[in-house]
Amino acid sequence: MAERGEGMKWIVNNRMNAIYLIIAAFLLLLPFVYESRNMLILLTQIFVFAILAMSYDLLLGFTGIVSFGHAMFFGIGAYSIGIFMKRFEPTMLHFIYAVLATILITAIVSFIVGLLTLRLKSHFYAMLTMALAGLFLVLAEKWRTLTFGNDGFTFRVPEIFIDRTNFYIICLVTMIAVFMILKRFTNSPLGRVLQAIRENEQRTESLGYQVLHYKIAASVVSGVLAGIAGIFYAMSLRYVNTSVFTMDITLDALLMTIIGGVGTLVGAIIGAGLIEFAHDGLTELAKEHWIFERWIIFFGIIYILVVIFFPLGIVGTLRKFTWKRRKLESAKKKENLAG
Amino acid sequence: MSELLKINNIETYIGQYHILQGVTLEVKKGEVTVLLGRNGAGKTTTLRTIMGLNPASKGSIVFKGEEIQSLPTYTIAQKGIGYVPEDQGIFAGLTVEENMKVAIQKENEETHKRLDYILNLFPDLKKFWKKPGGLLSGGQKQMLSIARAYVNDNQLLLIDEPSKGLAPIVVEKVMESILQMKDQTTIVLVEQNFMMASTIGDCFYIIDDGRTVSTGPMKQLKEDEEMKRKYLGIA
Amino acid sequence: MELLFNLTLNGLATGMLIFLLAAGLTLIFGLMDVLNFAHGGLFAWGAYSGIWIYTTTGSFLFGIIGAILTGFLLGIITEKWIIKPVYGNHVQQILITLGLMLVLSEMLKVIWGPNQLTANPPEYLRGSWEIGDMIIIKYRVFIIVVGLLVFAGVQFLLKNTKIGLVVRAGVMNKEMVQALGINIKKVFMFVFMIGSGMAALGGVLFGPYSGVIHAGMGMEFAILAFIVVVIGGMGNFTGSVMAAILVGLSGSFMAYFVPELSLAVNMLLMAVVLIVKPQGLFGGKG
Repeated sequence: MAERGEGMKWIVNNRMNAIYLIIAAFLLLLPFVYESRNMLILLTQIFVFAILAMSYDLLLGFTGIVSFGHAMFFGIGAYSIGIFMKRFEPTMLHFIYAVLATILITAIVSFIVGLLTLRLKSHFYAMLTMALAGLFLVLAEKWRTLTFGNDGFTFRVPEIFIDRTNFYIICLVTMIAVFMILKRFTNSPLGRVLQAIRENEQRTESLGYQVLHYKIAASVVSGVLAGIAGIFYAMSLRYVNTSVFTMDITLDALLMTIIGGVGTLVGAIIGAGLIEFAHDGLTELAKEHWIFERWIIFFGIIYILVVIFFPLGIVGTLRKFTWKRRKLESAKKKENLAG
Repeated sequence: MSELLKINNIETYIGQYHILQGVTLEVKKGEVTVLLGRNGAGKTTTLRTIMGLNPASKGSIVFKGEEIQSLPTYTIAQKGIGYVPEDQGIFAGLTVEENMKVAIQKENEETHKRLDYILNLFPDLKKFWKKPGGLLSGGQKQMLSIARAYVNDNQLLLIDEPSKGLAPIVVEKVMESILQMKDQTTIVLVEQNFMMASTIGDCFYIIDDGRTVSTGPMKQLKEDEEMKRKYLGIA
Repeated sequence: MELLFNLTLNGLATGMLIFLLAAGLTLIFGLMDVLNFAHGGLFAWGAYSGIWIYTTTGSFLFGIIGAILTGFLLGIITEKWIIKPVYGNHVQQILITLGLMLVLSEMLKVIWGPNQLTANPPEYLRGSWEIGDMIIIKYRVFIIVVGLLVFAGVQFLLKNTKIGLVVRAGVMNKEMVQALGINIKKVFMFVFMIGSGMAALGGVLFGPYSGVIHAGMGMEFAILAFIVVVIGGMGNFTGSVMAAILVGLSGSFMAYFVPELSLAVNMLLMAVVLIVKPQGLFGGKG
């Protein structure tokens, strides 16, 4: 009896965690009960982009940094895995090498970009990342001996990743791991400083924090995670080309984060799901009417409206709503008690 | 009605900080009203609130019988209030001439007369007419800023710490010129330099912790040692 | 000798096009603290609308006028409905202008189709002059002349008119301008309009210069313009023209000698400026 009471208490106190747990379990079991290859691939894609979007949220939502070159880190990851798998045998060892290479390169690049621009106004980071991503795109196009230029190349992946269901579960687990790590990270003292920076940079500085160091740390963590998303993206396609460096990837991350809700992490996952599903659906609709080929225009308009009217995104707006309700309820309770 | 400006219990927030928590002022036409008080008491914010640069969240500001507290800054300025900010707000890359041109709202006989008058008062400005404002000395910047505020037909000038960072001899010069302008216009002056404040001020207000705590004619304050010690730190 | 001359001419022409884009960007940034990431979209819109009018009417002049008017119109709409609601919030501004960029580029594809359009200079600007063994392509000279004229015109406006003075004053101290009785919001709109018009003009001039236009060109040029804005100093108009010429020339020479590195060199230049002199190579604001 007592044990059950404890369990109930945990569920009540951690309502959100319980919900997450149920959803995670559901997603984990899904491939064994519902056999749709397309659905599996789509969900895998969502997990990968959710990682990218969460890494973006760490910058935008938790630190207040706008990056327009997130594709750069994504692309570095995608090309690292591609090149390692193509040049050498597709073994686990080389997979690990590729991961290490990705972490190293993305960390160095994000560190340098951060060092150069994060002490300046937020425009500079946006601009420099955008320009640098452009540079990487050109590099991938021109360095043909390594990248095969615009056409890209296909490659084989280690055995464990070949089975779609396996790969699905690996991506899901990675996404959950990234979510938990980032949750921890943002709730840690370091994460709280980052949020303080977002709220009021000058005050944080005057409290004695080396704001620049914290911002660079966020930039590096975010860059590395985006690189990891890139690795899984390329592995899911077993193919990589220059499109991984394009603005489209950055825009996807941006749309997912903004529409889902900045600074919430879950918002990034929801945003990734929403956009990938909509993308999928709209591509189907494009067969009916050509306007749906330009699906991005709808997202662009929705995005602008969200930025103006719902800057908190779906999750943020919902939270605000429930908070208000809770406040109202507790106020009523007090009134009742007083009355 | 002799009050040109009447401020009734205004409150102002800057960000989440509650800076003004009840400032009440009456400025009589033709007088120099001096705002005194410690650093951070809210004197500068009071002037900025009058100008609409930090709008008040509560209370009213009545200028020439009209409520102005919710008007945008440029309209308040057009109603006839000139502002000389603490940092003088000189356009550093513009010449003295261009600084004046930006300030002049309507070019007519009247402004030309006022321009001549103010240039006679501050001959240095004529001397450096084509020089960038950024190259002027501290005192000259102060003069340029006052000249800019004066050149339009403003019935009220708000001047924020004109003596700040100036050499004593320059302070005297600025003070003299303010004394001369006194019979042309009404002035609200924020001043830490008590010598200057007591020389040109007709009446005073003391602001402490965002509230007006005391007021009276300047003569009274000069003799009230305790008040001076308590709020102004003058022994 | 002939090669050097042509590379220089080419670099100057490209530089002028970048200048037309960067000038508006830098002025808008300096005055309103808004970095308009949709500015490249206005460039592309200028190109498409201008070239469309040019090919339908057969008059290049009409094309240019049409492009500028398109720029003005889009500038007004952008300022009023997109930028104004989020004044003062940097992050929101950056995000929203990028969203606008997205919509502008996609709209081009909706209206004119996803394929690139071709454009040729009008009869009177085709071909080249030959002086000795030097071949001077007419259209390049035309771009340089137009660019210089626009520069001179804007410079005159900034130096000699009241609104120009107000713009320059506003770049230095917005608050004081308002405290002197000037409605700076109206000036914002004006500057946004002029800046957008210049970007659109750059776009339509670019059409016959490259021979083809496509929806992605806005983004490509915007990146160069950002580099120019940083090198020239954000908010610095004269700095922007010099930086644009610098970037144009280095691009043209590098593209000939070491094409792989041409963008990299400009990026490197920008990185160096960011480290050493974030306020820009060409002095303070002004």
